[in-house]
Amino acid sequence: MATILIENLTKVYPPTPTYPQQVQALGGVSMSVTGNVFVAVLGPSGSGKTTLLNIVAGVEEPTAGAVRVVQDGVPAQVGYVFQEPRLLPWRSVLDNMLYVQNRKSDRSKREAEFYLSMVGLSDVAHLYPAQLSAGMQQRVGIARAFLVNPDVLLMDEPFSHMDALTGRSLRDYLQRIWAHTRKTALFVTHDVGEAVELADRILMLRPGGVVFDDIPVNLQRPRRPDDAAVRAVETEVLRRFDSMEAAVRFGDQRN
Amino acid sequence: MAYDTSVTPDAVADLSAREMRRSVMSRWGLRAGVVIGWLAFIGVWYVFSGAVLGTQQLPPPHTVAAEAWQVVTGDGFGATLWASLLRVIVGCTLALSASIVLGMVIAYSAWWRGLLGVLTRFFVSIPTVALAILALILFGVSGLGPMLTAALVATPYVMSSVAQGLTGVDRRLIVMSESFGRTRSQIITGVLLPSSVLAVIGGARQAFALAWRITLLTEVFASSDGVGFQIRRSFESYDVRGLLAWTALFIGLMFIFENFVFRQLERRAFGGAHVSQATAESTQ
Repeated sequence: MATILIENLTKVYPPTPTYPQQVQALGGVSMSVTGNVFVAVLGPSGSGKTTLLNIVAGVEEPTAGAVRVVQDGVPAQVGYVFQEPRLLPWRSVLDNMLYVQNRKSDRSKREAEFYLSMVGLSDVAHLYPAQLSAGMQQRVGIARAFLVNPDVLLMDEPFSHMDALTGRSLRDYLQRIWAHTRKTALFVTHDVGEAVELADRILMLRPGGVVFDDIPVNLQRPRRPDDAAVRAVETEVLRRFDSMEAAVRFGDQRN
Repeated sequence: MAYDTSVTPDAVADLSAREMRRSVMSRWGLRAGVVIGWLAFIGVWYVFSGAVLGTQQLPPPHTVAAEAWQVVTGDGFGATLWASLLRVIVGCTLALSASIVLGMVIAYSAWWRGLLGVLTRFFVSIPTVALAILALILFGVSGLGPMLTAALVATPYVMSSVAQGLTGVDRRLIVMSESFGRTRSQIITGVLLPSSVLAVIGGARQAFALAWRITLLTEVFASSDGVGFQIRRSFESYDVRGLLAWTALFIGLMFIFENFVFRQLERRAFGGAHVSQATAESTQ
């Protein structure tokens, strides 16, 4: 069982020539995620969502605090879906998939082809990223993250650059593939509807990188954005979001 | 491993088909635009030739095409072309070799970047025509002048583009690799080296295009053979048809090298055909 344990995580970026002030991205975040749950990290711009994900992925160092991402006591394998697909332009779709695999074998190729088929891209495995649309490239990015059979899946606003229709289709797809694999997932978004549709739990961050609220979402899957129950939870989350904004505006230091 | 393909939603398949259709239509639109562009260019040429300048000053396209055909099928075309091509290849090779070394030096050393930056600004500021005349004075009417001038003029530009390619490796790809647990050596072979190869191919392409232009210009002043010399001869005998025919042949050669040599090389290295174009299409 995968566990993400975050204790008093702080990240401060030093001043740079282009931005001569230090920036506090995270201000003491503590949380834990255990088991096969889908957690959405929701917050406005500047609340440190991406920084949190990067530190969990191990590609950024925290200024203070600790993160443990383990599977049965050993470091967990992480799969990352970025905001933009980040494919190697000189490799075909299939080769991009295989790049993240530790072993190169017929079996890994079959697995790559399987995950491509899950995102409806079997026919384009031989093409190069530049020959695909943005939506197709992002689907390769999603398939690639699942290919490494991650214990923990990290997703950083993967649909934020998509048009509404494409984003909706991909959300449907993600719900199904997640229901199939049940990976521990940390999903960053600023879209309340997206968070309610996908997550079992919503962690709300306020500007400055402080956890404001932790909201459970106990709804049956699959969920549709027009379900009454989904809309009711969305309204409740929005209400709490408003109260967070009010708290920020009036200087409430609630945690 | 038992695969359950039933999880693939139909909606995703529909989406694929729609995206592919959009991509194909966009490619056809681009091709139609190219054809219309060429037709418009030839049309404007005819109008200027027939109604504005007169056929003496600006012969119509079909006359120039006939003259070009005569040049190609006549005696001496191969020798003339080879004389220029050899200078271009040597000039280009010299420029590219120097650029790779200097590009690496300025990519990784601030001191050299400062020093070569000054020299680059100096060389870029010298008018090419002055260098061509200088080559005539220094080397006389020979093949050496055009070669060295081409190498000298192309090197600063190509060097900058190689250095930019080397320093401009997409940091996000490295972060992606790290997040998937790729080792340092895997990142070097999987990301850094391919990125550098692209910079070198881009530099070769730029060096070739510059070397062609500069070699021809220098041949006009300082050579007794080659395409540039033929253009000068046509000009001196007021043979506008011949001048335009040689110019058209020059453009044709550039087109052939661009599309059948460098673009193919780029395709092999970069994968997707017409990367920038396809990227633009995909974001529409």
